[in-house]
Amino acid sequence: MTTFLTFTILGLVLGSVYAIAASGLVLTYNTSGIFNFAHGAQAMLGTFLYWQLTYGWGWPMWLSLVVVVGVVGPAMGAILHALIMKGLRDTADVTKIVVTVAILLGMLYLSQWIWHPEEARIMEMFFGSGAKIEFAGVVIRVHEIICLVVAAAIAVGLRLLFTRSRVGVVMRGAVDDPDLLRRCGHNPDRVAALSWAMGSTLAVLAGVLITPIGGGALEANALTLLVIDAFAAAMFGRLRSIPRTFVGAMVLGMTATYVMAYFPTDWTWSGNFRVSLPMIILFVVLIVLPQDRLRGAAIRTRERYRVPTVRKAAVWGAVLVAVVFLLTLLMEETSVTTFALGMTFAIIALSLTVLTGYAGELNLAPLSFGAVATIVAFHFGVSGTGLAARLTLWGILLAVLVTAVVGGLVALPALRLRGLYLALATMAFGVFLSTMVLRDTVEHTLFGRTFSIFPNGTLIVPPLKIGPLDLRDPETFLLTATALFSLIAVGLVALRGSGYGRRLAAMKDSPAAAAMLGQNLVKLKFGVFMISAAIAGLGGVLMASASGSVAGENFAVMASLGLVMLTVVGGIGYISGALFGGLMSGVGFTIMVGTFNDLAAATPAMETIYKSLGQLAMVATALIGMGVGKNPSGTVHDIIEGYRSLRKARPVLIGGAVAEAVLYVLTLTGVIGNWWFAILSACLGMMLPVFGKMIMPEAVLSEEELARRRSTPLELEGIDEPYTEELRRRLDRELGLPSGVDRAPRVPAPRAAEEGDVHVVA
Amino acid sequence: MSAARQTAPLTGENAEPAPLLELAGVRAGYGPIEVLHGVDLKVGPGSVVALLGPNGGGKSTTMKVCAGLLPLTGGELRFAGRRMNGISGEDAAQLGVCSIPEGRGIFPNLTVRENLWVGTGTGAKLSAMEEAAYSRFPILGERRHQLAGSMSGGQQQMLALSRALGTDPAVLLLDELSMGLAPMIVTQMYDTVAQLVAEGLSVLVAEQFARAVLPIADTAALMLHGRVVSVGRPDEIEDQLSSSYLGG
Repeated sequence: MTTFLTFTILGLVLGSVYAIAASGLVLTYNTSGIFNFAHGAQAMLGTFLYWQLTYGWGWPMWLSLVVVVGVVGPAMGAILHALIMKGLRDTADVTKIVVTVAILLGMLYLSQWIWHPEEARIMEMFFGSGAKIEFAGVVIRVHEIICLVVAAAIAVGLRLLFTRSRVGVVMRGAVDDPDLLRRCGHNPDRVAALSWAMGSTLAVLAGVLITPIGGGALEANALTLLVIDAFAAAMFGRLRSIPRTFVGAMVLGMTATYVMAYFPTDWTWSGNFRVSLPMIILFVVLIVLPQDRLRGAAIRTRERYRVPTVRKAAVWGAVLVAVVFLLTLLMEETSVTTFALGMTFAIIALSLTVLTGYAGELNLAPLSFGAVATIVAFHFGVSGTGLAARLTLWGILLAVLVTAVVGGLVALPALRLRGLYLALATMAFGVFLSTMVLRDTVEHTLFGRTFSIFPNGTLIVPPLKIGPLDLRDPETFLLTATALFSLIAVGLVALRGSGYGRRLAAMKDSPAAAAMLGQNLVKLKFGVFMISAAIAGLGGVLMASASGSVAGENFAVMASLGLVMLTVVGGIGYISGALFGGLMSGVGFTIMVGTFNDLAAATPAMETIYKSLGQLAMVATALIGMGVGKNPSGTVHDIIEGYRSLRKARPVLIGGAVAEAVLYVLTLTGVIGNWWFAILSACLGMMLPVFGKMIMPEAVLSEEELARRRSTPLELEGIDEPYTEELRRRLDRELGLPSGVDRAPRVPAPRAAEEGDVHVVA
Repeated sequence: MSAARQTAPLTGENAEPAPLLELAGVRAGYGPIEVLHGVDLKVGPGSVVALLGPNGGGKSTTMKVCAGLLPLTGGELRFAGRRMNGISGEDAAQLGVCSIPEGRGIFPNLTVRENLWVGTGTGAKLSAMEEAAYSRFPILGERRHQLAGSMSGGQQQMLALSRALGTDPAVLLLDELSMGLAPMIVTQMYDTVAQLVAEGLSVLVAEQFARAVLPIADTAALMLHGRVVSVGRPDEIEDQLSSSYLGG
């Protein structure tokens, strides 16, 4: 009985911390419609800062608490809202998700930059772990009591805020109709900023409270994921009801402790099971709880994509293969291997293009499907041993097939889900796979066979061999991967152009309208999910074989999130967006960081500067992701639009091509180094549209733009021509000066007029 | 805060009273699509202007511009003679422009009382709001703790109109008050509006169904294709209506 009581109280304590975290999440979601994936990262940053103040600099505990929870927490939320979240109105779900994911990654990189991850940091409980009281035979630590009391206070406080104060009621109204709030004389932005400040404070508070309970050292990734567990609690209340969120948090906390207490100790997987339990619960809750009905009207969003014709895609595919071939001539063998790895990531990213770009469904864990395929290929697709070991074609086909089926199975219960809910379901699957399956290194015996899913924590995946085609040679591997990428890409473009693709697009634009036209949404989603999973599986196997050996971390959900983010940054609706996202997330940043580290090693005097630049490059990744909010169609879209305007300026295009060819020849003959080639090519590619505008404006610019350039700006008006009465009136009008000035110039304007004008400015 | 209301008597000392709300050559639209191609409209103190016209004529866009929810791309928006281009919706509300949008101007997930509470953003007292709303529409008093979204369409519209009753605005903007309501409710709504007008409120009301609003209007303006094509006495405009509705 004492055991039961002890674990019940432990569960309640854990649940209360979940509740604090989850209520912050619900708060921000309800006032701004943005599900904050970065909630855990905010908690993590706050906790690290608290550690730094208390243990690093030895401030008194109460002072650092006041600073972290009272000042930094609210400030972080308000700044996030002012800089980023405000700009996310009228964007698609995927954009909102990606921006917050980018913030999450950025905060992770930032914390790893400031606080080196290999140092151990221990946080004590409040009043020490020795401070405890005994009650009915159960020992409770003071820290745990604090957690319970704080959670209870927050529950009551939020309840009062939302029902007994006007600002709370206005907050609840903000999500329904921000425009109506304006009509009532409230500023919805101010309301949202307040809720972000409160949400962020709650996150920080949860982080500070939970870290000593979990025990062990502070670890950025783990702490972030710990608060992400609170997503499950928030889902109990369907992201709306705070009381139900609290109930969910308690259920979550107690289940976790009961698993710890009552599962037999010889079940080797119970430890992993306990860690992945919140995600399993999240998945189940998502599926069981009733969903919102299909929304009738199409949602007006700012994302726009053009789809190329199959012929164009085929030509560009061939160009890509040719370019990659030319590049291999320049590169050393190790770079070719890295490049090949990036190309396999690009194939995985293609799975997102079809799923998210074409069909509007979300998958936050593409690498997890790659992991499934890799496991299958490792167990059933390898022939030969040692250096002679090769993947067989049948092995890969089997792996792809199994992944498609697994993708279908994951999607099957999630088929009713849309947008955010589906994204969360796939993330739950990804985390579950990482914490449960990929950590399953021990041997099992089932039906008389002994096996382990992930032996020794690493899988050694040999290269593929089909007939005469042997991919042990890195160049062959790279070219094959590129050719595969092009083939799949052309296939996808053809798919998008077909009737099936148009049905997918219809489903993306308006599920309700598509359903009314007689489309079977379930079948459509199921099919596209399987196609996407199959592509991700193929890419995953190739990725594993390109790196030679893979560990569980290669498929971690954070890596998946990075890939999703960069693909959206590139342009989720474009094949080239997938190429960009894959290359960047697969190898781009590894190369950048590696280069800076090499530079640091080569020039010890500048070491710290180069090291910081390397770290900065990581944080910059996330900054790019946050930029998606400003430019939701992706960077590729911008570049394409730039070149589209160059179509009529042939000489500029030809000049650019010639310059690039010269650069290539210079590099090939060794006159300039590879890095110079890369940098100059990138500059050339970026600047060509700008040059076009400068050199041949009449061919590049639109009619309106030209007309605007011909007219004189207001401030230069009247300098080289007579200053007319009409011009003066126009200036008055544009500057908002009272129109009657010239009629009665000497009468001072009434005071009220000034007040009125001030208002306009404000 | 009440600059607009102060200036009204100031300019009123002149020969002709400045209109409380005035649009001069207003152009506005959504993104690259221009909807209003130069709208001219005046709402004088204490008058009721009916904005009539078929669907897609730009009535609702005009209302949004007046409420400060849609920025102008050309022309001028004036409150009591002062140029107000670029004013935000909440500032317009603070200046005494009470706007009730198309559809139901309520928060469906808040209770009736909470809706009224949110409506006090312009400085009114909750008790005064409740008093005004419940005395005019007793049914709202009975349902004060019910979620607004769960009431009937007519009751929701009563709740929306209550905001105009309790906040003592200078100008009331009504967009499609009759939409989706039973004729009896529509009559009741316009009776309420007429009462407010009798107390000195100026009203700009956009309606597709001219019959409902013409009896209380002083002036009617016909809007077609993003322009006000004619302004005149209600009965004059009514004669033109059928031809413009039928595409004449």
